[in-house]
Amino acid sequence: MTAADPTLLAELGPVGLSWWPGGHVALSGPLYQLAEDCDRAFTALASAWRATPERHPAMIDAATLQEIDYLHAFPHMATFPVGMATDEANLAAFADRDPLDATGAVRLTRTAPVREVLTPAACYHVYPQHRGEQLAAPRYVTTVNTCFRRETHYRPLRRQWSFRMREIVCLGSRAEVTGFLDAARAAVDALCRELDLDVAWRTATDPFFRPASNPHYLAQRLHPSKHEAAFGDLAVASLNMHEDHFGAAFGISRDGRPSSTGCLAFGVERWLYAVTRRHGADPANWPDLPAAGHRAASAIAIAVGVF
Amino acid sequence: MSAELTAELASLREWVADRAKDLPPQGLTDDLPLLEGRHLTSLHIPELIQFLERISRRPIDVENLRPGDFRDIRTIAERFLEAS
Repeated sequence: MTAADPTLLAELGPVGLSWWPGGHVALSGPLYQLAEDCDRAFTALASAWRATPERHPAMIDAATLQEIDYLHAFPHMATFPVGMATDEANLAAFADRDPLDATGAVRLTRTAPVREVLTPAACYHVYPQHRGEQLAAPRYVTTVNTCFRRETHYRPLRRQWSFRMREIVCLGSRAEVTGFLDAARAAVDALCRELDLDVAWRTATDPFFRPASNPHYLAQRLHPSKHEAAFGDLAVASLNMHEDHFGAAFGISRDGRPSSTGCLAFGVERWLYAVTRRHGADPANWPDLPAAGHRAASAIAIAVGVF
Repeated sequence: MSAELTAELASLREWVADRAKDLPPQGLTDDLPLLEGRHLTSLHIPELIQFLERISRRPIDVENLRPGDFRDIRTIAERFLEAS
């Protein structure tokens, strides 16, 4: 189910927003450039920790994701890439009839085993990438990806099936990750001040399947580990303390113990929403995102003692 | 403190002591932060809820859980045992 939000589309269509009712946006022109500039602002913040950039595929191995029990916790959100079994008879059965039914749904024949998931978050690749490492110092990583989450409804720029997510990740001791998250919160505040965006921090929980029986959901209620920066009712950034969940699962250690990890995540399309709601649809009135990011990063870099 | 509450509190201390890890030199105290200090982890929570329901003979609605409710033994007792 989708809500097309005609007012938003009428305002932002001329500057490059197109809505695919399946839950996706296409960006072109000024709005494409604004998205690029938002990401430059986020990578400027990442430079405050001298975060190492990583690029990962949009798919992640299902068995790897299941090492952190993702498919039990979030089955309703998972998106699977499906291909058909490649034997001639199966492909012929598919090709020899109309590939789509009357509703536009693909009439698949027999499918090949599904072994991957379209990644639901950018940082999930980072932890297996560092599997088995014994960290001599905290490690900071930044990565961006197109992420996929099935939802009950979609709205352009606010809630989409596919969207861009930029993350800054810290792997280290608990104290190092806690320090990172404190500084990351200050970094988001500094960026929002530069952009004149009014955000409020709130605790949050992840949308677990059958939450009442999920220990991680219960833990998030009792000892909040997720905090969101909300523009109005829309979370534009989140801070997540994973404790040693990923460190223990993937054998990453610091000081002889499973490493703690934490991340700062930005939803790029949601920043387009926030910036255009605050500053309007005319690109002439949009702030200089990269410059704001660099100014915010300078303040944070001094605070975290990197430079 | 009633005899019943004293027994429940002793039972709670014993339950936590059996599971808590990395205790400080002074050992388990009623004000030791259990989750924040990682002495108990998220995996202990469902079992602790069941344990509290059993000894207090009252159901716990997880949607009513609030941050800090399981902070330490004293808080757990005040929140889930004393009113029973």
